[in-house]
Amino acid sequence: MADRILLHVGTPKTGTSYLQDVLFQNRPTLLRNGVLYPADRFDEHFLAALDLMRLRWGGLEREAVGAWDRLAQQVREHDGTAIISHEILATASRSQVQRALSSLGHEPGGGGTEVHLVISVRDLVRQIPAEWQENVKHRARFKFSRFLELIRDPERNHRVGAWFWGVQEIPDILDRWGATIPPERVHVVTVPRPGGPREVLWQRFSSVFGLDDLDLDLGTERSNPSLGVPESALLRRINQACTRDLPPVHYRPLVRELLAHQTLSRRTDSPRLRLPPSEYPWVAELTEQWIAELAERGYDVVGDLAELRGDEPDAETWADPDRPREREVNKAALDAIRALLVEAAERQAEAERLRAKLEDARRDLIRSRSPRLMRTMEWTVRRLEDSPRGRQALGVYRRARGRSSLSA
Amino acid sequence: MGRARVWGWAAALREGSTTPWEEWPDDASGEGPAFADELPGAQQLGLLRRLNLAADAAGRRLPPGTSDRVLTAGLTGRGRRDLPVLGDDRPGPFGPRPVDPDALPDGELLRVAAALIADDVAAAADEAVDERSLGERVRTVHRPWVRSFVVVGVQWRADSVRAGLAAEGRPQGGRRPTAYLLADDLGAVLADAWTARAFDQGGPTWPEFLRNSASFGHLPPRADLARMARSAAHKYGADRVTVVLDPTQLASELGVPRLQEPPRLGAHAVDLVRRVGEPLGLLVDHARRPGLLRATLGRRLDGKGGARLTVPPRHAVWLSTMAERTRHDLAAAGYPVLGDLDRLLPGDLPEEPVVPVDAEVLALALGLLLDPVSASQKEGA
Repeated sequence: MADRILLHVGTPKTGTSYLQDVLFQNRPTLLRNGVLYPADRFDEHFLAALDLMRLRWGGLEREAVGAWDRLAQQVREHDGTAIISHEILATASRSQVQRALSSLGHEPGGGGTEVHLVISVRDLVRQIPAEWQENVKHRARFKFSRFLELIRDPERNHRVGAWFWGVQEIPDILDRWGATIPPERVHVVTVPRPGGPREVLWQRFSSVFGLDDLDLDLGTERSNPSLGVPESALLRRINQACTRDLPPVHYRPLVRELLAHQTLSRRTDSPRLRLPPSEYPWVAELTEQWIAELAERGYDVVGDLAELRGDEPDAETWADPDRPREREVNKAALDAIRALLVEAAERQAEAERLRAKLEDARRDLIRSRSPRLMRTMEWTVRRLEDSPRGRQALGVYRRARGRSSLSA
Repeated sequence: MGRARVWGWAAALREGSTTPWEEWPDDASGEGPAFADELPGAQQLGLLRRLNLAADAAGRRLPPGTSDRVLTAGLTGRGRRDLPVLGDDRPGPFGPRPVDPDALPDGELLRVAAALIADDVAAAADEAVDERSLGERVRTVHRPWVRSFVVVGVQWRADSVRAGLAAEGRPQGGRRPTAYLLADDLGAVLADAWTARAFDQGGPTWPEFLRNSASFGHLPPRADLARMARSAAHKYGADRVTVVLDPTQLASELGVPRLQEPPRLGAHAVDLVRRVGEPLGLLVDHARRPGLLRATLGRRLDGKGGARLTVPPRHAVWLSTMAERTRHDLAAAGYPVLGDLDRLLPGDLPEEPVVPVDAEVLALALGLLLDPVSASQKEGA
């Protein structure tokens, strides 16, 4: 039975990919120090979350059958501290939360496993455009303005609005996840303001997960980089044009990984995606309500709740992703085409290599099935090629055969 | 007091009450103690009342444990989470707005019902055994001296035809087989393609399926008969592909009285399968899902769920163009045809199309909750 479980349930776009990759890459070191991060593949906790919440995810859910129970079992059987982390857990319903906590050995009235809830949070001014961009990176075709309409619908009837608030409404997430956990065991990690030292967020994570004294390799290639305005606009147009042709299994590596993450995210000179200045007042008002509520609940805040107050967007420099500068979109599109051509060339070369290998294997197979005949033919050809008369005879034979064949 | 009133109503629903939330007493007589850790959501409460109404109408009670299953069930899909009940005084200012459970759209209740039915179907998976007798197994073994053939086409129909032929002692297979491509009116082919998809993986609604295909300008792969014919020609040889538009001619050619058609599922029944398939995908291995859905819901809903799907008239031009193109491609390739290729062309589409309606889908779902598929399988076994 685990002594202590650190359950990180969100929120998206708060450095979770980096954290999860550091934990995944350092599993042996963690385990030597009594900390279990149970994962055979990097998305193990994501699959477990899909299973817990019975969420469909472009076919990935097929690999998730039974994943939560397997994860919970590993955690229960570990003697020491265990960490579970995935940001989509934020949207779990109360019954799903109850099932999750119970499967980890948590007892609402005290006793049982000591479960600590960790939630990393960032200001809505940055989260709103980031969530739209995340939708676009998941095949969405709607504009930013439509996204803003959907999240402002008080009924949350549309799945986009329901999902957004499910993973971003911090007091509600903590209502659901923290209802039976003492407030001192609920840790709210705030993401520093833009422009601050990058290592501060890791230091906060490290302190709350108790990793400060461990010698961890912090170099990781996995992250969830953001896109600028023309790049986001381009990606949305690509979705409009191509998603019907590209099933999720191909969309993920080609569009999301190759184009968005590996190509377009490197264009850092373009205007950044920001909240429209006209939306700032309601966001600021809601933020104040959240800060007051969270402060009152007495959670352990790692960082400062004031960091939830986002900077007011500058109306002068704000760029609209629904009406981007076409020249900038064209430049991004050229980068995308170049990346796709290089990828296509590499795949073609690989296909040629495999085709040649397959042909060799086929010949070997034929040779092994008729060794005597094959050997005789090869011996005859070799002998004939060794002498001028033989080569002449072979030439006559090949001409008579009507085609040039070196294999005969 | 608000929360105690919700608990009181929930307790009454557990006992079979059909009183709407709006009419539930708002004095002490309507209050009750909490009987679980969490107050059920509006969707669960709303579904339980509708289930009680359905049981009342049928003059019966819910199967044991059903009410508690409904109250603790999760929701499928990415929509709203469990909603608080209007009048409950406990929810704070955050989270989704409270609602009247009886005012929820049927689609919201179906999210709970689909999760429960998926549980039943998954439970049936554990009971499923190969019930074929030795004689039946022998009949499905291919005999080298009989004519070789394979049946291709939309999976939903082709699977049934193959199974029927095997049961008649005519299993497909053998050396150098003739590939029989099952074709039909293209509207029916599209409906079969969407049905096959519903059983395989869930996916878009019927209107979305058509809209996506029509806006892109070509047929979805599962309904693209010309492409299937090319694929069969590539695999078996162009001279070994026959297009079948008259099933009786194929039956006669293969020496069986008739071809076995798939279960006749109405529009609402297919939509229910589609909704159940989604949560089921997280309960059983995906390879087992279509067969399991066929064996449970496919059997139970045979002949139910209203009329067969039709294509709405707004897609008539697209459908007609696609049918003409398919007819042209098959004719140009010169495949032999059993029947008349003109049968591919859709007739006049009905002004009032047959499409799934949430209320009808919910009615079917309520029936499956009153008589769960796993229980009925046991009885039938």
